[in-house]
Amino acid sequence: MRGEPDSRAPAIVVAGLRKDYGKVRAVDGVSFQVQRGEIYALLGPNGAGKTSTLEILEGHRRRSGGSVRVLGFDPGTGDRRFRERVGIVLQSGGMDAELTVREMVALFAGFYVRPRDVAETIEQVGLAGQRRARVRTLSGGQARRLDLALALIGDPEVLFLDEPTTGFDPNARRGAWDMIAGLRRSGITVLLTSHYLDEVQQLADRVGVMSHGHMVEESTPRELGGRDVSGTVISFRLPAQLRGSEPPAGPWDQPAGPEGEFTMHTDEPTRVLLALTQWACAQHAELPGLTVTRPSLEDAYLRITGQAGIGAGHGD
Amino acid sequence: MATEAARRSRPPARLALGQVRYQLMLLLRSPLGLFLSIVFPLLLLVCLKVIAPSHPVDRLPYAQWVTPAMCAFCLLNACYVTVITSMVLAREEGTLKRLRGTPLPAWAYLAGRLGSAFVTSVLACGVIIATGAAFFNVSIIWRTFGYFAAAAFLGIACFFLIGAAVTTVVPKTETALPIAFGTMLPLAFISGVFFHVSNPPTWLQDLASAFPVAPVARAMEASFSPATQSWPMPLSGLLVVLGWSTAAIVVITLAFRWEPGPAPAARGLGRSPRWLNRAQRHDQMPI
Repeated sequence: MRGEPDSRAPAIVVAGLRKDYGKVRAVDGVSFQVQRGEIYALLGPNGAGKTSTLEILEGHRRRSGGSVRVLGFDPGTGDRRFRERVGIVLQSGGMDAELTVREMVALFAGFYVRPRDVAETIEQVGLAGQRRARVRTLSGGQARRLDLALALIGDPEVLFLDEPTTGFDPNARRGAWDMIAGLRRSGITVLLTSHYLDEVQQLADRVGVMSHGHMVEESTPRELGGRDVSGTVISFRLPAQLRGSEPPAGPWDQPAGPEGEFTMHTDEPTRVLLALTQWACAQHAELPGLTVTRPSLEDAYLRITGQAGIGAGHGD
Repeated sequence: MATEAARRSRPPARLALGQVRYQLMLLLRSPLGLFLSIVFPLLLLVCLKVIAPSHPVDRLPYAQWVTPAMCAFCLLNACYVTVITSMVLAREEGTLKRLRGTPLPAWAYLAGRLGSAFVTSVLACGVIIATGAAFFNVSIIWRTFGYFAAAAFLGIACFFLIGAAVTTVVPKTETALPIAFGTMLPLAFISGVFFHVSNPPTWLQDLASAFPVAPVARAMEASFSPATQSWPMPLSGLLVVLGWSTAAIVVITLAFRWEPGPAPAARGLGRSPRWLNRAQRHDQMPI
């Protein structure tokens, strides 16, 4: 419960988690922690072990090894007190087509000791206009909103979201992102899985990248793959007055012709830029086409999962 | 602390009653369940009466025999067929998995199912008996009506438990109805639900009496006969009913699944052998 002495302890602690399906090891020694109030994303290609990890934390699946604590509970024991305090958004389905939105949310409210207000929750997820609509008449995006309402109705401290926007059109994705970002203000802890980099960049405070059952990197979306410093690309062309001279801080990739670009991949963009611009200023020259480019999150992600020996997007 | 315990979970009775209400609401909005449980047996009652043999059955007018027999058929539809089809549907659509993630206890869900099967059965029997009494001159023998109710209660509980147990071996939604009817109809035939089997071969009688439909149906039928003086279910029949119920509880406890379809172990891992699916099912066992 909120305000317990352990309220400063991490909401989720995973250590050396393993999950075997027969001889296949789907999750292999994964460890991470999620602080209270944090939005943490498990990122990775399909088959990386994200959903297995998530479902073990939800209590839907048993682990083969390692230890897992959510709000101090072992989800594997399926304790009802545990399920009172977590909310789960499934990838799809599980709603009775012939019930109305309001009936569905009210039904789930009845499972919890201290549920949130039904009407208020429906309004929060943006379904106030559909509250009398049968579930089968909802669009895909609306169904996911209802899904979120069902997960929130018990006023959970930890919310699990499995690929919250898979199959959404761009508008619906924006809407879902706004809703999840809105949860941040309520102080709820969120663990989500995704294989969309932009989604993680938008939503997560921290990200764990999984590949083939391993946690291959853990950082903030901004620092993913050390991309805020490493692999920066600097490029420029030499003005006519400096043709033939050698720019400092090299070696530079030489241009093909006199009009071509000098380029460099560097982990020290600040030092290189300082030397380069000082040199140009001293010559009273302007460097045409000077650009500094950081690799995209996509590049970093491909590099990380590539390093682990796996490309993204394989598997089922 | 009592207050602490009270805060931890909702009162069990309220959870169970909420589930009964929920299941009845679903039933009212999906015509198949109501059709199977009430309309179908009623149609059969009328049809069988129309084509009925004019000679009496067991020294009883035909309608006096077929009315309680159709009540037994109602129980089979409401507690066995409907339970199998709707519970497999709920599992395959992910409803059970979603419920599993909430504090709703498994027993409350099953109690809700049983409660709604019970309400449907009582309604259906009421409609059948009222129709028989109003149009076919069937007389309710109040002296033995308690036997009828007791036999029906046993049937409701037993058929429900077996239905819930059978869902564990139904692989997908499309196979639920064929499996349910494919097992129920032959059994109903040999158990004397549709017509009175006079002088059946011994092996058929032995076969029928190994299953719980015959003792329940015969006890319900006998309760409508003025000749019946005492509890019409022999001890052997009662033991068969209780034995099947116990076996069903064991199966439910060991094998009830909340996860949809081909074992989730297979997801993302391509094809998986059957034993692996079974291992995963065991993985998902807790109830």
